[in-house]
Amino acid sequence: MTQDAGQLMERVRARDADAFEALYDAHHRVVYGLAARMLGDALAAEDVTQAVFLKIWTAPELFHGGNFAAWIVRLTRNRSLDVLRVRKSHGEAELPETLPEEEAVEDTAFANIDADNVRKALATLPPEQREPIELGFFGGITHDEIARRSGIPLGTVKTRIRMGLKKLRSALGTMVTV
Amino acid sequence: MNGSHAEIFDDVAVYALGTLPEAEAIRMREHLETCEECRDEYEALAATVTAVARSAESCTDATNGAVYASPLLKARIMREVRAQSATKTAPATSAPKVRSLVWPAYAISAACLVIALGFGAVNLSLTNRLHHLEATQQEAATTRTVDDATVADLLNERAKRYIVPGGEVVRSNNHVYIAMDDMPQPPAGKVYQAWTQPKGSKVMVPGATFVPDRHGVAILPISSNASLLHAIAVSIEPPGGSKAPTTSPVVLELLE
Ligand SMILES: [Zn+2]
Repeated sequence: MTQDAGQLMERVRARDADAFEALYDAHHRVVYGLAARMLGDALAAEDVTQAVFLKIWTAPELFHGGNFAAWIVRLTRNRSLDVLRVRKSHGEAELPETLPEEEAVEDTAFANIDADNVRKALATLPPEQREPIELGFFGGITHDEIARRSGIPLGTVKTRIRMGLKKLRSALGTMVTV
Repeated sequence: MNGSHAEIFDDVAVYALGTLPEAEAIRMREHLETCEECRDEYEALAATVTAVARSAESCTDATNGAVYASPLLKARIMREVRAQSATKTAPATSAPKVRSLVWPAYAISAACLVIALGFGAVNLSLTNRLHHLEATQQEAATTRTVDDATVADLLNERAKRYIVPGGEVVRSNNHVYIAMDDMPQPPAGKVYQAWTQPKGSKVMVPGATFVPDRHGVAILPISSNASLLHAIAVSIEPPGGSKAPTTSPVVLELLE
């Protein structure tokens, strides 16, 4: 078991570059992969990855404990949304909320879950639940926009997202050992 | 009051997913401060949303051309961090160059690509870029494409890298590549041409012509036997290339 992210962040606050490197090694794949998926562009994904990790280095006090993976995912999605916002600056669909970076996610249930297991769990969802979840999260669009694009009523989209997330949670729960 | 609980409870999942419009998200944040039931629902789903993000995690290496963050990116970040660290560990002298070097969209595995394509229009630029790169490679008058072996060579941490204007010359496993990431377009109506100078020879041997893509990226295999080469060069030439260089080189690197 590698050192806990919270302890590593303590050392990062003390300007410990080795601790930072350990965090980079453990988490850069989700940062880079998420940015690449949202932006569809390796160049932009590298820029986001650099921005996220340098933010962690320069402002480690923004991490308030809890689930480190949840925090870094929020930083990454928000930075990627910034990029999408600039791209869409000539007036298009409204972009969604940014996820709150200053707030800790206490639940660390899936903090160390393997990406392949998540993909397997996602694959168990019926497409009508999985698609709006992926489109909303990775596509960076609002649920109104999902409804508009798919021609499905807004209330139905919301329900499917909620059912899908709950189903995913229980599917993941069966994969987390101990 | 900030709206009724029943009305807001319906939105907790989409809020956790990050798909509420900003104005509604503000109202939600206020409500979560005061409502335990919504708060519990939110907490239960927030970690699940993090797991969704992990499904996009990139791969650990570039085999199969997977989505893969270049070690050069790490080197760039660590260089900046080490410069400001308390421990002042000396950066490795063999660290790759720190200028932005883009390992572009060929870094997409079949598996990851299928996932990406599931989004349709959202990820169109990804496939466009891939196709564009392939087109650039064909334009490069070479039948070779950027295959897995090339990617592995280019990312090899033990490769010898010669920094040249607009990119680098990479010598890896006795293969030599021109790997440009910031190369200007050639003048209108012209192309770049690669040249090699064998050891013991005064003659520049003509190689492929090429143009960088719109990001300034061009990857060109030059030789599979570096030990036979004295130098490599790039010059600006007419389309189709020349038998001997007609302009002074924009890149000239001695490999010995
Ligand atoms: Zn409530």
